[in-house]
Amino acid sequence: MVQSTLALGVEAVGCAAFDAGIKGAFGYPGTPSTEGFEAVEQLIRQAQDGRVAQWAANEKVAYDLALGVSYSGFRTLVTMKHVGLNVAMDAYANSALTGVRGGLVLLVADDPGMHSSQNEQDSRRLAEFAWLPCLEPSTVQECYDLTFRAFELSEALQVPVMLRIVTRLAHCRAALARRAPLAPTGLGPVPEAAIQDWVLIPANARRRYVDLLEKQPRLMAETTPLNRLVPGTKRRGVALSGMGRAYFGQLIHEHPALAELPRLEIAAYPVDPALEQAFLAQVDEVVVFEEDYPVLEERLGLRGSAKVRGRLDGALPRTGELSPRLLKDALGLATPAGKAATSLDLPIRGPRFCDGCGHVDAYEALQEALASVGAPATRVFGDIGCYTLAAQEPMAAIHAVVEMGASISMAVGAALAGQTPAVAVIGDSTFGHSGLPALLTAADAGVNVTVMILDNRVVGMTGQQPSQALDQVERMVRGMGVPDDQIQVLLPVPKQHDANVAAVAAALQHPGPSVVVFRRECIQSIRRGLLKDHDRQERERCTTEVCS
Amino acid sequence: MNASRIHGIVLSGVGGQGVLSLAQILLEALRRSGLHALQSEIHGMSQRGGSVHAQVCYSEVPLSSPILDEGGADLLIALEPLEALRYVSMLRMNGHLIVSEEPQMDMAGYPPLDDIYAALKAVRGAHLIDTEDLARRLNHRQAGGMALLGMASRFLPIEDDIWRDVITQRFEAKGARVTEKNLEAFEAGRGLIQEPVGA
Repeated sequence: MVQSTLALGVEAVGCAAFDAGIKGAFGYPGTPSTEGFEAVEQLIRQAQDGRVAQWAANEKVAYDLALGVSYSGFRTLVTMKHVGLNVAMDAYANSALTGVRGGLVLLVADDPGMHSSQNEQDSRRLAEFAWLPCLEPSTVQECYDLTFRAFELSEALQVPVMLRIVTRLAHCRAALARRAPLAPTGLGPVPEAAIQDWVLIPANARRRYVDLLEKQPRLMAETTPLNRLVPGTKRRGVALSGMGRAYFGQLIHEHPALAELPRLEIAAYPVDPALEQAFLAQVDEVVVFEEDYPVLEERLGLRGSAKVRGRLDGALPRTGELSPRLLKDALGLATPAGKAATSLDLPIRGPRFCDGCGHVDAYEALQEALASVGAPATRVFGDIGCYTLAAQEPMAAIHAVVEMGASISMAVGAALAGQTPAVAVIGDSTFGHSGLPALLTAADAGVNVTVMILDNRVVGMTGQQPSQALDQVERMVRGMGVPDDQIQVLLPVPKQHDANVAAVAAALQHPGPSVVVFRRECIQSIRRGLLKDHDRQERERCTTEVCS
Repeated sequence: MNASRIHGIVLSGVGGQGVLSLAQILLEALRRSGLHALQSEIHGMSQRGGSVHAQVCYSEVPLSSPILDEGGADLLIALEPLEALRYVSMLRMNGHLIVSEEPQMDMAGYPPLDDIYAALKAVRGAHLIDTEDLARRLNHRQAGGMALLGMASRFLPIEDDIWRDVITQRFEAKGARVTEKNLEAFEAGRGLIQEPVGA
């Protein structure tokens, strides 16, 4: 009988963090990591025992919040998607040198196949880069069990531990058995004698870097028991991690002969070279099934003792996610034919703006304003959020999308290179995430740049999480040095269209920096009533106090 | 059902139609039936009116792969006819297709509806449901999804009272009337096939 509750893989991580007795959870929303934070947030809200779950302005801030909790002696979880770790990389890499006090686990959700991301970078490489351990589950239950283990490892080794999952596992729902929850127990803050370990001035950092390198054999001693060499009778073997391990495990049920292949099953990094050598001694050929980069494939290939097959030699596609079919093809297993696919041409049904979304009104005003000032072909720099959908035909209103916050700086760069007018489009949460320092530079650059902030009052795309910029956008813009007379707040609705076009046109023609805020709450957020209480409280506060 | 075989169900539709919600009801019903079951879904941008699909696998043996291979599904439940056609090749030769006839045509280049219906009717084991008519008869605008699930139940090893419990639990927060309407839609769909077919 299968037991207990159902959970997504990413939720299992959040449940485990709660049950492991964390004091605080932090993160920035990003598919497919979001529900990990939301699971732990819900448990913490229900527990009402003084723990905290807090979305942060960006991933770096989230990581530093977690590091502060760790410094204070408590366990802590920080969650983000793979590209979010780029933003947090400064904190992550340097926390390898400070080490941790309370256990710190970093959940990173990679997105092979780029279901909802701009690249498919492999976070295992970043763990290796930072000289830190990484655990990689392959089932929902392992998401839970390895998160629990990650906290123990983090405290035993006094380093942050990464837990790496991928989209398919993050969004796989299955039965989950939980342990009895632990209460948060504080170890007390970093002791007096260890304070210098946390002060990374060069003299201390040099010493801590040596400490970190010297700690590597101990890391490997702790990760090795999580990896496994399963002997077989064949001279052809498989090396497996993550979903590769999950898919192969299931194929064995359908093709029992596969159980005779020697297999190297990896769930933790760094991988012990002795284990790799013991495996390679049993095989003449090995096929490697892992998600994203050929990490294990390269390591095994470098040893030169067996023919290593995978993404590098074309046995598997160089890009994209694994699938059971790709494993079967690489192993030469036949697939019984199914029903024939239709011969009809089926056009893709892509995502689009919700009916009545304010972003559409904002873009229509921008496009008409650009035409009215004689610059209809202006290249517009976009950013990451629902409003990225405007890059698609027929709207085609933005012409570059790179990473969080890039719109403003790229527009300033283009303006410095001579483009006029230069236009950036960014959402309120993305603005708070990494648009602020860009606007500081924009205000100082002395060029004609128009920044449109599409303020829908929530983090729309990932499920309407609270935006930290809520009710503060104009103040933030003013604080970055944009003159008051160049800040406009407009309501993006059809009946304001003509007035909005005129207002945007005026901003486009202003020779210096200008900001146009289009503010209307996200349609989905209104439907769910997410800001009703907040807005009522604000209205009540305004009747009793002087407010801006 | 075959003890060690892995059974698969594909669900498809358009963002907002409730594909993931149906998949979760199915998963819970399978789990309560003492089976090992996994569900896979892709969220994110697909919530914005794009194609959405989910997969459910179940077996008497433990499972680790949430993904089905082409030709690996026993059942395809589609809330929209074009979105059904995308996944026909996921079905086994003897698999069944349960599909709503009600199109969602707000997209560029939607093929002529007659071509879509003809292609669906050419699939052996296809069961088309006029969910629009059913919704009107039941006076329940969103009856379609539950009716499809009701028809699908004829192919699944799940007892009546487990379906009833899971559906009730899913909707009870929305009140007794909503629960009743959904049970009614489920029964209506179930009644469209007289005898259990077996997977």
